[in-house]
Parts: sequence; C-alpha cells; structure tokens
Amino acid sequence: MTTADIYKTDPSPVAPHGGIMRRLNVGTGIIAGIVLAVVANVLAKKLADGHTHEPDVRAVFTMFGWAVGFLLGMGAFTGPFRWLVGRDLTHADELFLAGKDQGVGRYFRFTTDHKVVGIQYLVLVMVMLGAGGSMAMLIRTDLISPNSGFLGPQTYNSLVGLHGLTMILATIIMVTGPFGNFVVPLMIGARDMAFPRLNALSFWLLVAMLPILYSAAFLGGIPMGWVGYTPIADQGPPGVDAYMMAILVFAVSTAVAGMNITTTIVTMRARGMTWTRTPIFVYGVLASVVLALPAFPFFMAAELLLFVDRVMGGGFYVPNRGGQPWLYQNLFWLMGHPEVYVILIPAVTALMELTAVFARKPLFSFRIAVLSIIAIVGLSATVWAHHMFASGWAPDLNGPFMLTTEMISIPTGGLFLVILGTIWRGRIWTAFPMMCTYAMLWNFIIGGITGIYLSDVPLDYQLHGSMFVTAHFHYTLMGAGLTGAMGALGYWFPKMTGRMLGNTPAFVSFWLVQIGFNVTFLGMFMVGLQGQPRRVVHYDASFHTGNTISTLGAYCIGIGMLVLLYDVISSWRHGDLAPMNPWGAKTLEWTVPNPIPLENFAVLPVVTEDAYGYGEEPVPESEPEPVPASAGAEADVPGAPA
Amino acid sequence: MSVETTPADRQGRSRSEELKTLTILWAIFTVLGVIFALIVPHHLMGPSASNTMTEVERTFTMFSVASAPVAAVVWALAVYSLMRWRRRGAWKEGDPDGPPLRGHGMTSGIWIFLSSALCLFLLIWGLAALSKVDSAAASGATPLEIDVTGQQWVWTFSYPSQGVESDQLVLPVNRPVVFKVTSDDVIHSFWLPEMGIKVDANPGVTTSTSTVPDRLGLYHVRCAELCGLLHADMETNARVVTSDDFDTWIAGQGGHA
Repeated sequence: MTTADIYKTDPSPVAPHGGIMRRLNVGTGIIAGIVLAVVANVLAKKLADGHTHEPDVRAVFTMFGWAVGFLLGMGAFTGPFRWLVGRDLTHADELFLAGKDQGVGRYFRFTTDHKVVGIQYLVLVMVMLGAGGSMAMLIRTDLISPNSGFLGPQTYNSLVGLHGLTMILATIIMVTGPFGNFVVPLMIGARDMAFPRLNALSFWLLVAMLPILYSAAFLGGIPMGWVGYTPIADQGPPGVDAYMMAILVFAVSTAVAGMNITTTIVTMRARGMTWTRTPIFVYGVLASVVLALPAFPFFMAAELLLFVDRVMGGGFYVPNRGGQPWLYQNLFWLMGHPEVYVILIPAVTALMELTAVFARKPLFSFRIAVLSIIAIVGLSATVWAHHMFASGWAPDLNGPFMLTTEMISIPTGGLFLVILGTIWRGRIWTAFPMMCTYAMLWNFIIGGITGIYLSDVPLDYQLHGSMFVTAHFHYTLMGAGLTGAMGALGYWFPKMTGRMLGNTPAFVSFWLVQIGFNVTFLGMFMVGLQGQPRRVVHYDASFHTGNTISTLGAYCIGIGMLVLLYDVISSWRHGDLAPMNPWGAKTLEWTVPNPIPLENFAVLPVVTEDAYGYGEEPVPESEPEPVPASAGAEADVPGAPA
Repeated sequence: MSVETTPADRQGRSRSEELKTLTILWAIFTVLGVIFALIVPHHLMGPSASNTMTEVERTFTMFSVASAPVAAVVWALAVYSLMRWRRRGAWKEGDPDGPPLRGHGMTSGIWIFLSSALCLFLLIWGLAALSKVDSAAASGATPLEIDVTGQQWVWTFSYPSQGVESDQLVLPVNRPVVFKVTSDDVIHSFWLPEMGIKVDANPGVTTSTSTVPDRLGLYHVRCAELCGLLHADMETNARVVTSDDFDTWIAGQGGHA
C-alpha cells in the first residue's frame, strides 16, 4: 500500500485532477527557468553594481535562477508544495506522476516511474558521451601534428577541461543511472524506488546542470582543466563560475540519487532475497553510491569555498591572503579517487553478472567478489594523496600513501579472479555483451598495471602530469568502465526497450572501438614516456609519431561509437522484438513481461535461492504451505500468482 | 552437488593436457611481455641524464618484468577459454549449462597469496628506491643550490651563491644539485624529463627536489601543470656542462664562482 492509498481522501473540490500540475513538462520548465534567470540577473546587477566581483555575482545568480526556475516549471516541487498547503497528492495524482497512460510524453515530464527515469538517464548519458567524445575529436585533431594551429590555446585549454568534466560526470552516472534505476528495482523484486519523486529530481537536476556547464564555453571558458585547481581557478573568467555551479548542482543530484538507491537496495529487496542471494550487480551499484555519498560532499565543499573566493571576495585558496591551494587539492582528491571506483565497480559488476549468464556457470566465488568490493570501497578512501606526490605537500606521507595505493591491487585482483573463474570451463557464448567482458580483461590489466607504476613515488615524480597518466586513466575509466557500460547496454537493452540490439553493427562497433582505443592510448603511453606533458596545445617534434598514432586511433573510436549509436537508435525503433528472457538468465528482471507493466510485478516475488544456479539441479518443489515471514523456502517461481 | 553435463568433446582431454596448454600459453605471453619490458620502456624514455633517471628507468623496467607473468595469466586464461570453451551459435532453451563450480578454495588462496606477495615486493622495492632518490644529493660534493621560480609562462633560475640569474638552466656534470622551487602566480610544475625529477611550483611556499646530472648534453625543462594560456610554451633548455664550462658560463653572466 502506498502513501497515496492511505491519504486518498482529498477534501479539496477545487482541482480534482490536480489542475496545473498536469500541464507542467520540460517546456514549461525551460520557460520558467529562463524567466527566473533573467530576474536573478537583473537583481544581481542591482546588488553588485560596479563591484569587483560583479560579473561573477551576476553569473552565479543567473545560473541559480535558471536551475530553480527550471525545476519549479517542471513541477519538481509539486509534492512538497501540496503537502505544505495541506492537500496531499491523491492516488490519481501519484499515478499521473508515475506516467500512467501518457505514452512518449512521460519522458518529458517529472515522471517518477523508475523505468522512465532509467531510460531518461540512458539518453542523457549518450548525449553527454556524444558531447565529450566530440570534444575529444577536436582535441585529437589539434594534436595530429606538432604545431597544427587547429585550435587556439584558450579554446584548447577550455576544451580539455570541458571534455574531462563531461566525461567524468557521464561515466559516474553511466551505469548507476540507466541500469541502476531501470534494472536494480526489477532485479531485487521491487515495484519502484524507495523515493520515486527524488529519483525524478536526481535526473532533472542533471538536465538543469548541462546548460550551466556548457555556458562556460561562452563565458570565457575554463583555464584550469577538469580538476579546477586553484589559484588559477580564482583568476579565471566567469566560465569558472559555470564550472563551480555545475558541480554544486551535480553534487546535489548524486546525493539525492545515492540516498535513494541505498535505501531501495537495503530495504526493498524481495522476501527471501538475503544478502547472499542478492545479485552481484546490486552490490556493485550499492557500493558505488555508498562510496559516492561521503566522497562527493568533499568536492561540493571545495567548490563552495571557491564560490566564497570568487563571488564574495574570500581567500581560502589565494596565497597572498593566507589561503592555501593544497587545501583545494586535498578536498578535490578526497572525492577524486573514490570517484574512480564509483565509476569502475558498477561497470565491472555488470560484467560479472552477464559473464555468469553467457558462460552458463555460477559466479565463481561470490564471497571473494563481495569482499573485494568492500575492500576496494574501504581502501579507496585512504589513497587520495597519491595524486599529490609531486605537489610537494607532505613528502613524509608519500610512503604511507604508496602503501595504501598498492594494497588496492589485491582486491582488484580478486575481481579478475571472479571473472576468470566464472569463464573457466564455461559454455561461453561470445555475444556482444560477453565480448565486452573480454575487452575489459585486456584493457583493465593494462590500466591496472600502469596504475601500480604511478603509485610508486619515484616513478610518479617522472610520470605525473605527463601523457602517461592520461593514457593510464583512460585505460581504467574507458577501457574498463565504459566497456563495462557498453556490455551492460547490450545485455539489458532487450529488457529496457523490448527489442534486441542489432548484432552485426554491435560487432563492427566493438572492434572499431576496441582497436581504436588501444591504438589511441598505447600511442599516448609512448609520448608520455618520451616526456610529453598533459594538456598542451602543441608539442615538441620528437613526439610527432605517437601523437599521430593516437589521433588516428581516436578517429577509429569515433566512427565505432557512431556505429553503436546508429545500432541503438535503429534497434530501438524497429529491431526484433525481444522475448521475455533472451539470454536465459536467472535474475528477477527477466521474469517480467515486455513491455514491463507500471508497477513491475503483479505479485511480488519470493526468492529461495541465488540467481547463479547454472548447471545445478533445481530446488525440488515442495508443497505450498504458509511461509514464515523471515525466510522464504517455497514457491521458487518469482512473480507467480499467489 | 555435481551434475554430469560435461560434453563429449571435452571428455577426451585429460586435466593435465588442459594445464599443459595453458602453461605453454602463459609462458609465451610471459616471454613476450618480458622482452617488451626489457626493450620498449627504456628505448622510449631515452638515455638517462641523471642518477635519478637511471633509478626511474630501472624501476620501470623491473615493474614491467614483474607484471608480465601476471598479465600473462589473465591473457592466457582468456585466450584459452575462447579456444576451448566457446559455444558455436546462440544459446537455446534446454542447452546444457557449464559445470556448477561455485569456487575453489585452493585457487583463491594461491591467487590472493601471490598477489599479496607481489604487492609486498613492489612496495619494498618502491620504498628502497624512494629513499635512494631522496638521499641522492645528500652524498658527495657540496650541492649546488638553484632557486627556480615559475611565472606565467617563463622559468627563472637563480644561483644565489654565484649571484647569477638566467632563463636557461645550466648544470655542472656530476655535482649534486638542489632545486628550491616556487611560483609567482599559479601552480606550475618543474619537470626535467631526462633527469626524472618533478616538483610543483606553488605560490607562497617553496618545495624542493634534487638530483645528480651525470651526462653532458642539452635537455629540457617543461611545465607539467596546466597554468593558463601559454602552458604549452612554458619550456626552456637545460644544459649539462663540464665543471670548467660551468665556471666560464657563471663568469660570463657576471657571477662569481
């Protein structure tokens, strides 16, 4: 029974159908956003007229006005507002908010259904990857020869920063957003997320963030790269305000989403789904958001202090006012290293999930998988200063941070063991998702090993800030992370869209992307070892060969990604209709029909065993009898009518 | 609980044959990896120009050699699984599953023990190398002290004992040198790629790094931290000369030895 059922007596005769709430959508959101942005801009001009910080004050006011206005106009605050005036949402209102019988229109409203939010996230991630990828193409085109002159230094520096930030934000949400929202509630046998309205809020906050982020390009750009180091950020044009505000909005979004996903997984798993019967992907998503919850506030705090510096004339990071740039670096990396695992863990666990299915074998050592994830989550909070070995901050701590960093390689090895053990003697079906598992094994071993080089302090003194680092983290975040997300897309596409992802284009795209990827970043390792710094618009002629190789590889990735995009769009529109369980998997999301009904399960499933019983005799069916509330031992057909 | 799902094609091969093929694959990958590790990184990093860089190249090669068998395990298993256990065609309802192997205590134990041992080895190696690098300039002759200042977008080198300031770095060969690094504006990073040293130039504080240049020649000073518009141009030359040439250069700049 939902809250709406309990409070369904709506005393107000004025607007029986919710009136204005039903007219709000993304269009009214944009109008309200623009109106409030203009109002805020005028107000800021009055407030700060002639003051040194006037451009910054006006920029942040305008962006804040846009974000609040957009969310107001979307109807994001309808629920709290109605509660404040004493008229709670009726059951009909809740069904409307969930997008019942609204067709495509529900994707453009403040819709609370987790499946709608999942699809929205998927589209948003693809848009962001497209934007970040296009910037990468421009950057690589500039670097095709030592002095190509294709981009000016200011444009180049801004592009490097915006590419980095776009991709980091996109990869943070690329698994937990689309698949965490769409698949996880199904996988744990729930009807929706714990807080459906917060779910919608987390998504629309990101939509509000994007124009703020890209307005940086029209406000003088950002001169300091995606890390936003101070004091160069203190000096930057109003583009830096856009960077700062975008991160503040993003941090609110992840906090809301993380809290929601955590609550859902902890409290809403189906009866009988004990922690040992919970699929590993659910663990992965939970680990990701549980790690993000304490990590991201550091980034938010770092940007709030920068806000005070830039808008109000503070001096947290300005040395000649007693400020300390190392403070920013510490706050930033306290978020920045956990964030790597926020990206990686859900991607790798998605591959574990599908590897068991495509090898037709139980997951090898579920316990090691879980313990490795827990160890990585714990250790990742203790390693941040390895990003600062060469900064000169606390040389005495270099040894301890080297220790914690190298220790992470042990649980990471555990993840490899689980996947390799699952493949061992399996009956391996090398469909597109499974190919992604193999690609991840290749890429992640290179990314992991080069990470060990960088954890070694003397080596880091040489390699820090060089193209070697750039190549290393692309191998982890893209070679392992994005590849994992692509595997997840291929795997869950049939459930999310009701259609199969076209096989041939996916295959072509896979090889173009993976070969292009390895060419690009092996070339980048090469110039990094030769001594090319990161983020340079032109370079010494001695680095020409490696850079040209990288650029050609990058074009190859670009073409491959376009092929995948084509495949996704054409399959989504008129691909083959997917059967309910095309891969023969045992997790709960494959027990619901296509298209999935509004509240997923007619009757909530009861779980009696884990989802990896491949090759094992089925649990003998016993007579149905009353089940004790604590443990479900019977009725192994989830979703069967009671 | 084991189920007899082993397909007929697999029964012919014994377990030892399986291990033999795997070991051969692993050995091939390891040998290829070690050859790569011994040749490629050193070739790319070029001849070392300081004792620090010698240490860096040695560590890089050592780590690569140590990682080769690890990567080879993963690649050998992946390749072997594709060779032997790949299904032709799509899965169909009713196809037999793989063996229900839910874990193997011995394998997991060995895996974790070996990865921990390797991690410990790398850690000890790293700490030893770190102390060697840190104490490099402490031994031998009195170190030459140079104050390095970064500003958007030039480097300035001042030799306080000699009373010389220059935008070119000139170093006497085989004499320890200590760089005291700072910045006038934003963060820069003082990097001598051929000598394997780097430290950030932070406004308001002084950081330091040291090395012993041991090869005559013309090298580079680069900025390794994005520092604004002309970051890519913030580089200059570093010349390592004989002690006599160094004294001549100092005199030519109006300094005193």
